[in-house]
Amino acid sequence: MTGAPILAVEGLVAGRGRADVLRSVSLSAEAGAVTCLIGPNGAGKTTLMMAIAGLIRPRRGRIRFDGREIAGRPAHRLVAEGLALVPQDRLLFAGLTVRENLAAGALSRDAGPAIETDIARMGQRFPRLAERAGQRAGSLSGGEQQMLAIARALMARPRFLLLDEPSLGLAPLVAREVLDLIAGIAGEGIGVLVVEQNAARVRSIARRMHVIDRGRIVHSGAPDGAAADAAVDRAFFGAAVAPAGPAPAGEAAP
Amino acid sequence: MDDFHLAILANAGLLSFLGLSCWILLVAGMVSFGQQAFFAIGAYVAAFGTVTGALPLPLALAAGLGAGAAAGTLLGLITRRLGGFRFAVASLAFAEAVRLGLDLLVLRVPGPGGGPVGPGGTDGFGGIRLLYESGTTAGGFVALIWGTLAAVLVLLTVAERTGPGRGLRMIGEDPVLAEALGRDPGRLRLAAAAAAGAVAALGGGLFAHYTTYVEPSNFGLMIGIHGLAYALIGGLGTAVAPLLGVGFDIGLLEGARAFQSYRMVVFGGAVAVFLIWRPRGILDEALVARLALLFRRLADRAPGPGPAGARPTSPQDAKEPT
Amino acid sequence: MIAAAVAGLALGASYALLATGFTVVFGVLRRIDLAYGASIMLGLYAAIWLHREGMAGAPALAPVVIAVTVLAAAYVERLCFAPHADRPPVTAMAASFAIWMQLQEIAVLALPLHTYPFPSPFAGAWPAGALGGIRPEHVLALVAAAAIGLGLARLLGHTRFGLAVRATTENRAAAACAGIDTRRVAIAVFGLAAAIGGVAGYLIACIDGQVAPHFAMRATLDGIAAAILGGLGSIPGAIAGGLLLGLVEAAARSAWGPQQADLARYGLLLAVLAAAPGGLAGIAGAARRRLAARRRASGRRVGEASAAGEA
Repeated sequence: MTGAPILAVEGLVAGRGRADVLRSVSLSAEAGAVTCLIGPNGAGKTTLMMAIAGLIRPRRGRIRFDGREIAGRPAHRLVAEGLALVPQDRLLFAGLTVRENLAAGALSRDAGPAIETDIARMGQRFPRLAERAGQRAGSLSGGEQQMLAIARALMARPRFLLLDEPSLGLAPLVAREVLDLIAGIAGEGIGVLVVEQNAARVRSIARRMHVIDRGRIVHSGAPDGAAADAAVDRAFFGAAVAPAGPAPAGEAAP
Repeated sequence: MDDFHLAILANAGLLSFLGLSCWILLVAGMVSFGQQAFFAIGAYVAAFGTVTGALPLPLALAAGLGAGAAAGTLLGLITRRLGGFRFAVASLAFAEAVRLGLDLLVLRVPGPGGGPVGPGGTDGFGGIRLLYESGTTAGGFVALIWGTLAAVLVLLTVAERTGPGRGLRMIGEDPVLAEALGRDPGRLRLAAAAAAGAVAALGGGLFAHYTTYVEPSNFGLMIGIHGLAYALIGGLGTAVAPLLGVGFDIGLLEGARAFQSYRMVVFGGAVAVFLIWRPRGILDEALVARLALLFRRLADRAPGPGPAGARPTSPQDAKEPT
Repeated sequence: MIAAAVAGLALGASYALLATGFTVVFGVLRRIDLAYGASIMLGLYAAIWLHREGMAGAPALAPVVIAVTVLAAAYVERLCFAPHADRPPVTAMAASFAIWMQLQEIAVLALPLHTYPFPSPFAGAWPAGALGGIRPEHVLALVAAAAIGLGLARLLGHTRFGLAVRATTENRAAAACAGIDTRRVAIAVFGLAAAIGGVAGYLIACIDGQVAPHFAMRATLDGIAAAILGGLGSIPGAIAGGLLLGLVEAAARSAWGPQQADLARYGLLLAVLAAAPGGLAGIAGAARRRLAARRRASGRRVGEASAAGEA
């Protein structure tokens, strides 16, 4: 039951400063399913997310969203077109209230009563946010902040959501809760591309997996199975072992 | 050379001191709109030294320099916790406070000739005639200004290669990294403020003896923006760069006499447009590094291809996993 | 006595408006527009020029000042801020300083005299000595500043545009992620600040009854001083800082004289920068945090005590 990809990246080259962090990345993701992107520190995961979301201008390559070329378009336009990013450090408006954060998430939409309805719906979906509606976002706990960041992104009514390490720094139980929430969002028909460093947890909710290492996609396919395990191991442990001691050339992976 | 061109040269040299003063701070990442205050302090202190007959010129200039360094240290202490624009605003307020203070400063004392000498508030400070009375020619004056300037340039170029000099540049480019590498930004910035004050004050002392008359309105914001613009236009890559900025301004002024009354209109717009084109000046770090490399290559090639030209690739390159 | 206090407050109200202009621009752009005072000065000089040419009567001057100030600010934004959006903030500040000198020179070239009288809209309409010597210009300044303050609070607190401004002020990157066009917000805020500055300039000119070339510097430094005094980025701080500065200045002027009052102002600015760079808002914020910490600590003590009681 795999549909046509709603998001397709081809030959993307991007970076910050002079160096290319991404060296020709190609991947795709479907609507209504979770696609996960896994890779070690410094592999280029966050750069890729920022490039897709329009926060970094790619140097080369194509990004197609829902059949349209979007590479190089600014982030705020993409949000209006239905592609929203929840960045790694959550980036809330710490001094604004929870309610104002939610309302700010809908600023890309036309004004109207539907926004109030959506805020009320978020309150039902996240009861803890409803309880703290008048509180400053900066005073929330880490888990609540992540919930608010996702809720704020949903306020734009996206068709596709990019999530950059949503469980970073959260207690295991809370992280589990966030992953369930992500699975639920995909169940409503929204496509999700989620970056995780902790591969095991996110693979359980994903339909497809891409493994990134040193700026390239080194594996694409189902999230489980022997080939997927091997790719993940290579990306993490291959990269971790290499600088520690020079491996003899003959013993390199086949 | 006729008097007109000598006057241009003298002015260019004097303004270069102000440009250099701003340049020292810019290298450390500090934008000052107030270096004219130190120019003024140097002018008043050095002039007071010679009009009272208390000091010969070199000592008077040294006294002015010392006062400038002390005032620079004071500004540095006031602003030691401030970064970016707050420092800039503080420098602006400091300079205006100094100018207003000089407006109020009346210190007439009996001079060697019997008549009262010294600063007279808004009426100005005249009779700074030591060099004219000792028969210094216009050419001699230009030689004095440019000789002093050359000495300052040599000192700055040497200082740039020392540890603190490198540290200062590092602070300007990346303060977080500089601190991580064990540089103390507070102390280095304080030293930069003191050095910048000293350089401006030295120029101010020469300026007072060149014009024989100074008044507080000589040291307004107009001259401050010029000093800053010289450093910005010239570039942050080398201490010689502000002179390029001075040349740009004087060339513009002399080349477009028709614009004379529109000078500030043209100059202000030119600086703003220039900053879009080259935000770190003509001789920025990248260009200076390229020029240095070119120069070294030329020097290497001159005695014939040596072992330096055929450097082997480093073993690290070969080991790098692909 | 009352009239003197009203005069000080009116002066402070106009400073508060200038400080508000600096503070809202700083909040969104994290940059200082040093050409702010010069833009307002150009507006005032344009109005005086039109008035002298017989093309604008006294009541029409306020819109002229505001319109020309906004135009000048648009020029400053295009030349000094838009190109340097991704560069260190000081580059834009240095560029705006150069344009300050340019705008000031343009104004002086058009009207070269030392001072020009500025016509009051109340000329002859207010009997001298009425209301215990309170001048109508002072009343106008207080009323106009209060109206702008309330309008601004409503705009920022209760509209979608205001939410976009506050969100961008909080965190520009987060605002972009939330779908806010931060470039457009920045341009709109720049224009809003210019309009407020135009009003402030008009009020100051009415109070002074004249305009001189040093207006550009006075407006810039007074506005920055009040904004820093209050805590840069905080609108309530800007208003408090402006009123405080106006009262201090009025008192210093009557006690020592105008030059000494100017000196006192720069001294105050330097003292605030040295001792409390965060200004009144910074001090208030620290006090609030300390209070909250104390409350938490005492809450914990109560909790421990009750836990001990249960044990």
